[in-house]
Amino acid sequence: MGKDNNMNKNINPSYDYEEIEYTIKKTNPVTKVITYIFLIIWALINLFPIYFMFTFSLKSNEEIFGANIIGLPREWRWSNFSSAMNTGNMGRYFVNSIIVTVCAIAISIFAALMATYALTRIKWRLSKLTNSFLMLGLTIPLQASIVPVYVLLSKAHWLNKYSTLIVPYSAFTLSMSILICTGFMVDIPYDLDESARIDGCGLWRTFFSIILPLMKPALSTIGIYAYLQCWNEFMFANVFISDSAHRTLPVGIRALSGAYTTDWGPIGAALVIATFPTLLIYIFLSRKIQESFIAGAVKG
Amino acid sequence: MKMKRVVSMLLAGAMVLSLTACGSAAAPATETAPAADTAAPAADTAAPAADTAAADTASAGEPITLNMWCIATESDSNRHAYEEAIKEMAANHPEITLNWEAFENQSYKTKIKAAVSADEMPDIFFTWSCAFLGDFVAAGKVYCLDDALAKYSSELPEVMLGNTTYDGKHYGVPTTMNIVGLFANMDLLKEAGYDEIPGTYDEFIACCDALKAKGIIPFGCAGKETWCVTEYLESVIEKSVGADALNDIFLGRATWNNADVGAAVDTFQSLVNNGYFDPSGAGLTNDEVKANFMAGKYAFYMNGTWNCADFAADEAFFPKVKVAEFPVINADKAKLGQLIGGPSDTLAVAASSPNAAAAADYACELGKLICHYGYLDGCGLPAWTPYGDTSSVNGLTQAVSEICANADSYVLFGDTAMNADDANTYLSYVDQVYGCQVDGTQFIEGLANDIR
Amino acid sequence: MADNSIVRVNENLKKEKRRRDIGTGVSIFLFLLPALLLFVGILIAPIVVSVYRSMYDWNGFSEGTFIGLSNYKELFTNGSIKFMVSLKNALILAFFSVFVQLPFSLFLALLLGRKVKAERSFLSIYFMPVLISTVVIGQLWLKIYNPDYGLLNRFLDFIHLGQFKHVWVGEVETALGSIIVPTIWQYIGYHMLLMYAGVKGVSVDLREAAMLDGATKWQVDRYVVIPIIKPIIRVSVIFAVTGSLKSYDLVRILTEGGPFQTTEVPSTLLENMLFLRNRYGMGSTISVMLIVLCFAFALAITAAFKERED
Repeated sequence: MGKDNNMNKNINPSYDYEEIEYTIKKTNPVTKVITYIFLIIWALINLFPIYFMFTFSLKSNEEIFGANIIGLPREWRWSNFSSAMNTGNMGRYFVNSIIVTVCAIAISIFAALMATYALTRIKWRLSKLTNSFLMLGLTIPLQASIVPVYVLLSKAHWLNKYSTLIVPYSAFTLSMSILICTGFMVDIPYDLDESARIDGCGLWRTFFSIILPLMKPALSTIGIYAYLQCWNEFMFANVFISDSAHRTLPVGIRALSGAYTTDWGPIGAALVIATFPTLLIYIFLSRKIQESFIAGAVKG
Repeated sequence: MKMKRVVSMLLAGAMVLSLTACGSAAAPATETAPAADTAAPAADTAAPAADTAAADTASAGEPITLNMWCIATESDSNRHAYEEAIKEMAANHPEITLNWEAFENQSYKTKIKAAVSADEMPDIFFTWSCAFLGDFVAAGKVYCLDDALAKYSSELPEVMLGNTTYDGKHYGVPTTMNIVGLFANMDLLKEAGYDEIPGTYDEFIACCDALKAKGIIPFGCAGKETWCVTEYLESVIEKSVGADALNDIFLGRATWNNADVGAAVDTFQSLVNNGYFDPSGAGLTNDEVKANFMAGKYAFYMNGTWNCADFAADEAFFPKVKVAEFPVINADKAKLGQLIGGPSDTLAVAASSPNAAAAADYACELGKLICHYGYLDGCGLPAWTPYGDTSSVNGLTQAVSEICANADSYVLFGDTAMNADDANTYLSYVDQVYGCQVDGTQFIEGLANDIR
Repeated sequence: MADNSIVRVNENLKKEKRRRDIGTGVSIFLFLLPALLLFVGILIAPIVVSVYRSMYDWNGFSEGTFIGLSNYKELFTNGSIKFMVSLKNALILAFFSVFVQLPFSLFLALLLGRKVKAERSFLSIYFMPVLISTVVIGQLWLKIYNPDYGLLNRFLDFIHLGQFKHVWVGEVETALGSIIVPTIWQYIGYHMLLMYAGVKGVSVDLREAAMLDGATKWQVDRYVVIPIIKPIIRVSVIFAVTGSLKSYDLVRILTEGGPFQTTEVPSTLLENMLFLRNRYGMGSTISVMLIVLCFAFALAITAAFKERED
């Protein structure tokens, strides 16, 4: 799939096949209507959680627990948002989450690009084996390593910093990033490396000046998958960070609930604060993300 | 004025009651010879250097910084008490800077255990008494507070320290204590023809039948959170077999294989089978059940007295609710005044703290203040002798104080009293009892076998 | 002389080549270094520690005692640990994931791959549940399952099927199903997006050629598209299975492993052992088992796909 060269895709990224042959338009109108009804119902089912989250964030416990679970709030309690922002300090945690996630994704992408280059575009004996070794990471559950990593970090006096989370997060997203990178990188024609070598480029120059620029479409794909792993991570963030100056959103949101009593409205507000920006970015970027998906099509 | 009386009664009660200490060799230290102990905790082999260093800094009185972890998060009912207490401490001790962080209850358990295993504890930390703290003490990670607590002996009754005393040494500063209360929605009881919470078990059952006949569900209980089931079950067991017998079992001094306990479990199960419990409860969390109770779905709700503050804060609900003690089931073995609960919320000091001695003094004073403000807020009953004007405490908490003032003995919550592994085995059996998967005999035999 | 010079040139070339090889080797090493450092330091080393700790009876902070493989034995023999139950649940989840979730994702991907109107919008919307925090998803489904005011029971009342009402997350018969449905639903979009990428990557010429031969659309999908995107389907299957073995969040929120521990999964057990029961040694044992299982399944799936291809 997609072996046809990458350049064309960049020129014509929207992939408009004009062949009417292979579209839904020509099909029997009844099938067409049924298809659309199905697609729309499924879309509504998938949009519902967002509506739910939004109304949830504006309600009181009484409405959330029974009185009015899915309707619009009877009394729009915007105060939930201010209490989440002020007493819950969500603004600060939001910034922290962004710093941690962005850095982790950046490190993960960079390490993955370098590793993938060595694994796919340089011929050496153990490359296959090394690749499978790195793919082990896809199967390791995060919970398993929490205490050993914690002991390691505390011995190195490396707790309560942004990097305390950034490094483990980039390690845990690494395997997925390499997997996606591989899909993209094998699509880049090998002739490019050849001609670069003839022009006298070393491995490093080939990597930085030829391969890296061509990997741009991969970034948003890796980014979104790495983001999914980092943004909502709770366990590491809870154990490794003890001062609220470096706390991230999931832990901050959890801290909104009390030991015996919980006011759920502000939690809903905090969840909206944590989710809506990402939804907006996603909607904004979705075209790009989908394009990069089409361009790179993950391969095993 | 009424409050004063209650307080003095509470004190009198506290002096005579027998709070049972954790651990087999944990008889409360009655001899007042702290000097002989030379502040040497069981931990001192683990951190002798820390101890001497601590002594040095404490005597110098230089400005120091202490770190504290607790679970008084923004929405926790104790938050205000912590804030007030810390403010007052800052005024009294300008040379000490306290950095404190609050974590969510459940995740805090993970966090503090990881910190203990990596020796990354803060100077002062919140902990639960008995087994939870006991594991840390046994590992030599906790600083002994005998010296620091010595000067408070007149304000902090020795019985309140039982749950944090190991091998005769004190390791924790209790703040508040809580018991299990039988909360009742009096509006619903009135519908069934009752003006008061029935005082005897027979009347109580008759009341439940009357409620059921009216289509009112007597009890709400969150099956998804097993500790909520224990609030009912432990009360039933205690009022059947007596406080001492239950205490012996919880603390490992007697076997679970006790036919009376089995019979009590069957009694509890008959309540379930008679349909007194909301069948939906099996799939609900405590938040949901509590909301249901406050919305008038259940007549009774057995839960910790920490709920008083929340009930009092709801203006519509507060006039309807009353609190009482669970009635006696078997008068031969149990009597009124035998309660479930006791001081559990505790502050402790890390043995690894470079300023352990200063932290110990600070923790004691802070614990006293948190207790004071927490009581004023209605978050629980004071472990320390109350002082100042306490007339502003809400009526429900005052009613609980009165119950405690007549207390005969306390049995701590089973899952707090037992070590972590046993407590979870116990909870899993309680879960099965509530779901009628096992009966009383299977319950006692299973526990006798599975508890290590 | 000439011979000599040729030999010398040859030697030089060899030296040159060796130097280049060493240079390449160093480059390869340097290229891999950041990834390997992260990977070994944060993922592999803790596993080694876990294997070591799994042979101890240790509560996490005191002195442990070496007990060899007793933890592994206890895992399977002690009835109160419920490891087999948790494994069974994870495998059931994996089964539904592979045989319900993935076909549905594939169906959506194929449907959207046919250039329907607003396909990009549908694609974005279908992916959204993946982006939403599990806490929200969990709370929403709790509202759906709530025995008193939940949407599901209300709906059953509404269509006069009240006898099918349940305390969904509180009854042994329905609890596991109550977890499976939202878990599968949430990640349909995830797999769909992976597959959609593959579907769109199939060249138009191939499809057209098949169409000209008189194939219907479904036949094109069946015989042209699906074989081509097989590598992606394999990745999806691996993710679905290992993801099921690692599932955690929704179980915690929806059932807490209950009723009567019938819905425990390995990760919830692991957490109970580590942080509730203070049995760190046993927790390590479970995590070692989990890693071994995930890896074994990944290998088995790869092998199964290879066999099919041959």
